[in-house]
Amino acid sequence: MFTVNTTLMLVATFLPVLGALVLLLVPKDQRRVFEVGSLLIMIASLLLSLPFWFGYDRASDAVQWAGAWSWIPALGVKFSVGMDGISLLLWLLTTFIGPIAIACSFSAILERHKEYYIWMLVLQTAMLGVFITQDMFLFYLFWEVMLVPMYFLIAIWGGPQKLYAAIKLFLYTLAGSVLMLVALLAIYFLQHQTTGVYDFSLASFQAMAPVIAQQSKSYQTLMALAFFVGFAIKVPMFPFHTWLPDAHVQAPTAGSVILAAILLKMGTYGFVRFLLPIMPTATKDLMPWFLGLSLIGIIYGALVAMIQKDMKKLVAYSSVSHLGLCMLGLFALNPYGIKGGLFQMLNHGISTSGLFLAVGIVYERRHTRMIADFGGLSKSMPIFATIFMIMTMSSIGLPLLNGFIGEGVILMGAFQAFPWAAVVATLGIILGAAYMLWMFQRVMFGPITEVNEKMEDLNLREILYFAPLVIAAFWIGLYPGPIMDVMDAPVRKLVEQVSPGFHAAQDLAAKQAAAAKLGMKGMTAPAAHHDSDPTGHEAAPAAHGAPAHGGGH
Amino acid sequence: MTTIMTADMTLVHAATTAASQPSSLLWLIPFLPFFGFLINGLSGRKLRNTAVVDFFALGSVGLAFILTLWHFIQLIGMPADGRSLHQSLWTWFNVGGAQVLGGLSTYKIEWAYKFDVLSGCMALLVSGAGFLIHLFSTGYMAEERNDGRYYRFMAYLNLFVFSMLNLVLGANIMMMFLGWEGVGLCSYLLIGFYFEKEFAAAAGKKAFVTNRIGDFGFMIGFFLIFQVFGSLDYDTLMGSVREVANLPLITLYGHTASPTWWFNLIGCCLFVGAMGKSAQIPLYVWLPDAMAGPTPVSALIHAATMVTSGLYMITRLNFIYVNAPVALAVVLAFGSLTAFVAATMGLAQYDIKKVLAYSTVSQLGFMFMGMGAGAFSAGMFHVFTHAFFKASLFLGSGAVIAACHHEQDMRNMGGLKKLMPITAMSMILATFAIAGIFPFSGFFSKDEILWKVFEGWYQHGHYTGPTLNLLAWILGMLGAFCTAFYMTRLIAMTFYGDYRGAGHDPHGLSVPSEAHGDAHGAAHDDHGHDAHGHDAHGHDAHAPAVAHDTHEAHGHGPAEVSWRMWLPVSILAGLAVVGGFLNYPESLHRILPIVPAELFSKWIEPLLYQVAPLHHGEHIPPAMEYGLMAWATLVWAPGAMLLAWWIYKVDPTWSRAKAFVARFPNLYRWCNAKYYVDEFYDAAIIEPIKRFSAQLWSFDTWVVDGMVNGAARVTLIWANLMHWVDEYLIDGSVDLVEYMVQETSAVFRGLQTGRVQHYAFVMFIGFLVFAFWKFIA
Repeated sequence: MFTVNTTLMLVATFLPVLGALVLLLVPKDQRRVFEVGSLLIMIASLLLSLPFWFGYDRASDAVQWAGAWSWIPALGVKFSVGMDGISLLLWLLTTFIGPIAIACSFSAILERHKEYYIWMLVLQTAMLGVFITQDMFLFYLFWEVMLVPMYFLIAIWGGPQKLYAAIKLFLYTLAGSVLMLVALLAIYFLQHQTTGVYDFSLASFQAMAPVIAQQSKSYQTLMALAFFVGFAIKVPMFPFHTWLPDAHVQAPTAGSVILAAILLKMGTYGFVRFLLPIMPTATKDLMPWFLGLSLIGIIYGALVAMIQKDMKKLVAYSSVSHLGLCMLGLFALNPYGIKGGLFQMLNHGISTSGLFLAVGIVYERRHTRMIADFGGLSKSMPIFATIFMIMTMSSIGLPLLNGFIGEGVILMGAFQAFPWAAVVATLGIILGAAYMLWMFQRVMFGPITEVNEKMEDLNLREILYFAPLVIAAFWIGLYPGPIMDVMDAPVRKLVEQVSPGFHAAQDLAAKQAAAAKLGMKGMTAPAAHHDSDPTGHEAAPAAHGAPAHGGGH
Repeated sequence: MTTIMTADMTLVHAATTAASQPSSLLWLIPFLPFFGFLINGLSGRKLRNTAVVDFFALGSVGLAFILTLWHFIQLIGMPADGRSLHQSLWTWFNVGGAQVLGGLSTYKIEWAYKFDVLSGCMALLVSGAGFLIHLFSTGYMAEERNDGRYYRFMAYLNLFVFSMLNLVLGANIMMMFLGWEGVGLCSYLLIGFYFEKEFAAAAGKKAFVTNRIGDFGFMIGFFLIFQVFGSLDYDTLMGSVREVANLPLITLYGHTASPTWWFNLIGCCLFVGAMGKSAQIPLYVWLPDAMAGPTPVSALIHAATMVTSGLYMITRLNFIYVNAPVALAVVLAFGSLTAFVAATMGLAQYDIKKVLAYSTVSQLGFMFMGMGAGAFSAGMFHVFTHAFFKASLFLGSGAVIAACHHEQDMRNMGGLKKLMPITAMSMILATFAIAGIFPFSGFFSKDEILWKVFEGWYQHGHYTGPTLNLLAWILGMLGAFCTAFYMTRLIAMTFYGDYRGAGHDPHGLSVPSEAHGDAHGAAHDDHGHDAHGHDAHGHDAHAPAVAHDTHEAHGHGPAEVSWRMWLPVSILAGLAVVGGFLNYPESLHRILPIVPAELFSKWIEPLLYQVAPLHHGEHIPPAMEYGLMAWATLVWAPGAMLLAWWIYKVDPTWSRAKAFVARFPNLYRWCNAKYYVDEFYDAAIIEPIKRFSAQLWSFDTWVVDGMVNGAARVTLIWANLMHWVDEYLIDGSVDLVEYMVQETSAVFRGLQTGRVQHYAFVMFIGFLVFAFWKFIA
């Protein structure tokens, strides 16, 4: 039975592909129609998705707006949809990025407009679909379908090595997906063995966690590894990351934006949704390896980013580093880590999109992305300089901006679980500042050359598509509360799934409230027995072996 | 869930009522400059009239100062141990549960401000000195008014004041960190204000990255605080620290140790943060380079306010340090080392701003020495007096630089006392203050610090053994000597003798001006700014910080600057003269009882953690204190000043200095090049990291990606092999079958003639065979 909200959710999800069908009928020389039409469709989808932000019941950790249709009853496959807070945020991120990705393509795409915008719309629906499914079969379907438009976007509108990059992206991630499929099927059959029914629903898979925990160690390890590799390729984590720089560098700007903002989040989403709740025991067993790879990713990505000569490649490697941090947070398995990791997904979607858009801006004007070709752009492009600076600062985690909320919370969470890992990750943050600011310095500062002096500042369309990102960056930085609230209940549930009894420890709130009440008065030493003795004070510092009068006299 | 909610609400509630009074206007203090920033930053580009920019920039900071004053007066009227105002704006982030020492913490990080004895003083300093420096900037940056970047400068300054006020007024460590990073950003933007200059942009980046290294320590430090206390709120921390410190043992991460051990760890980590922001060895290297920024920036950020954040943080968290003797010893050791080493570097500089920069590093070292000796109020008091005299000196140097048409080399100055008397007088007074001459402010603060350090050794009362204190005291005294020397040298070189900038240079002291770009004896009426375009930083020690695109010619010599510039300088110098009486020592109070004793120490005392109860009034200062005081102010500092005077003023040819340099060329060279620390870092850290990165990239390309491509290649080879197998074996066998079929069928092909008669014949034969077989069966 569908409620109104479920219908609306499906409409918002499938609107892009329906729009694509309509655009199919338009003759292909109508460039404007495709541009404006697809933009309007994306905006409509965004507007339709917004009510869900307000309608979400933040107190409940259940899947909301759930709806299911019987689809292939023999296999237990249902067309089952719904969202909890985690999927809602990523779903909204997708509808949010959609119009931006279209708007930044107007001047960048110079040929085959019809196909381009149609593929973009198809891609949008496929990505939105991943976040709303509550059925593993359907999930896998969307997950795979997503690759096709991305393949064409890179292979047709990409750079000089577009075919290599597109095929690499496709095959590499497909390899991961197949591993994931094997694991999915294994659980599916295991489930049939234990319960006697065939069921592909996500809830039934998550309910398998205790059964899986009783299987042999090697079975669990293999299953966890299959999931891990499948998602790690998508994230991508070291050492599965090499498709990413190629894909980013070759993809058109919008492709990079979507790749960074949404596609990579599929991997992290997979971890949150499947690996952690379904196989907590195996995850904990393999934790040293997972942590190690995350940490290597953070440092390695940052170091390699540092010496890149191509701006886009630099940003791509920075993604490897940022997502390593995101994974570190998720693997901390506590509320700080997981919430931070989820935040980092959103933040990376905002700041890295912004950076790719910024690179796209200079590329469109100069047809080069080499750092060495630029310098002093702040002089000729002051508005761009400001926006680029904001995105850079957001990426290196400056407080007031979104990046800090993610990074800070992740590091606090990781520090609660694995202090040494957090220390290493914090080092990565120093490197983050180094490579981003170094790039910024070389591109935007310094003496300007004659060619660069002629570069035009942002036009209105460009300002308009940067504006939402800048606003979102500040909003999350200043007041992340509402977003934290949305993820609160599902994260709590997830933490309990992974570490049962986590929240049962003694609550310190009352104690802290009492301490806060005491405040500065707590600094005064309680009266000691020699209080009445006026000469006792001279001896006090020596007796206590520490300074008694904090510099008093 | 519900119980947690209510508990949280009580927590928030408690924080606003008990330990401090609510105040509804507190938020305006930091946010007024922020609004100034927004207005100027968003609309400044379109404003033709820069007076409007001035109005918003100065107005917002001025109002913030008045509000701060108002709050401060409120504080004065409150009981001594309850002087705290508090305002919580919103929950910044509420992450959920965290397992910390003792249980589950559901602490929410509030966007909240706290105005208490310490932050009140700091806020007065930030908004007050900030206002004066804003005023100075309106004069100093006059040339930028025409080229459209003036608004940007003022907006950044406002943003800085906002961040700095967040740093000092924030009610929890996260808010402090917000400001901490914010001032770092503003410092980055302002150092690189002349971004078209490669070295200015590089200096900005260097400052930011070096500070990030410090932040690394700071972050680990406050993560540890969170693990131990489950909160980052100052009130909660202060309220629970005694209980934690009295725990027999603390177990975290399976490691069990005494609270002192953990506090030492926290203290050392936090001090790394302080090293970065407050430019201590080994992270001080960014501060001299930061002089690439416009001079008001150097005064505001790199002398008076931002660089004291580390001191503020240590004083704010003094309850950690008092319980962490090793961390205090570390602070003392690094502080005293910095105080001395940086002072020696100041001896060998010719760039007027560089002298002041090293002087700042050195003075910050003094402040840390005080903290390290456990004398938090003395260290903090030096923060304030230093802010007065150093801001005055920096602004004065800015005025001098502006008057000399952006000449920064003191060898090309001289004799300016007659030409710009107000600036000269202010700077001379400030020099007396920094040198520590009675009764100027520096005497009171510096002497107090040195005495506290000495007392630690003298009374054997302190914790790390007396040797470190004695050593630190000796380094401190040497540093004080150097300070008095280089400051007098600066004054003598700049204000006395003859003006050498216009070609009158009988003793051949001037050097080719880097700011002017032309050889010095050239026609002095054509000191245009046209030479600024060239890359004038032949070597990094003499980097001209101010550059112009304007081509106006300055045909006139230096003269007194406008009131916008000399007024702030003289106000700050005035404060530097009298400011010391705010913390008049007890020992002198006994001689001269008119001045109230230790106003500042007593003011700040309730915030300082006491191990044992305090007693006032019975303290009899030892004769040693008077002896050292007299020694420092009558012999030591004046001796250094007279020595410098003798070398640089009495002998206008500076022959003694030249002889000294000729005698010890390496000593001079090392001091001048700040002991080659930058070069060392470059060679030992930065270059290896870059090389390693390059190697990693090759690894990435050839090994990691090589495996992927290799897998693809292997698949291709396999596919080719398969193709061959397919073509020759499988398809071959198919072909073979086909061939055999063909060959065989050739036999039968003859049968297929297409003639009906033949088929009829075969049919007939078949029929016969069938009939015969049937017959037999």
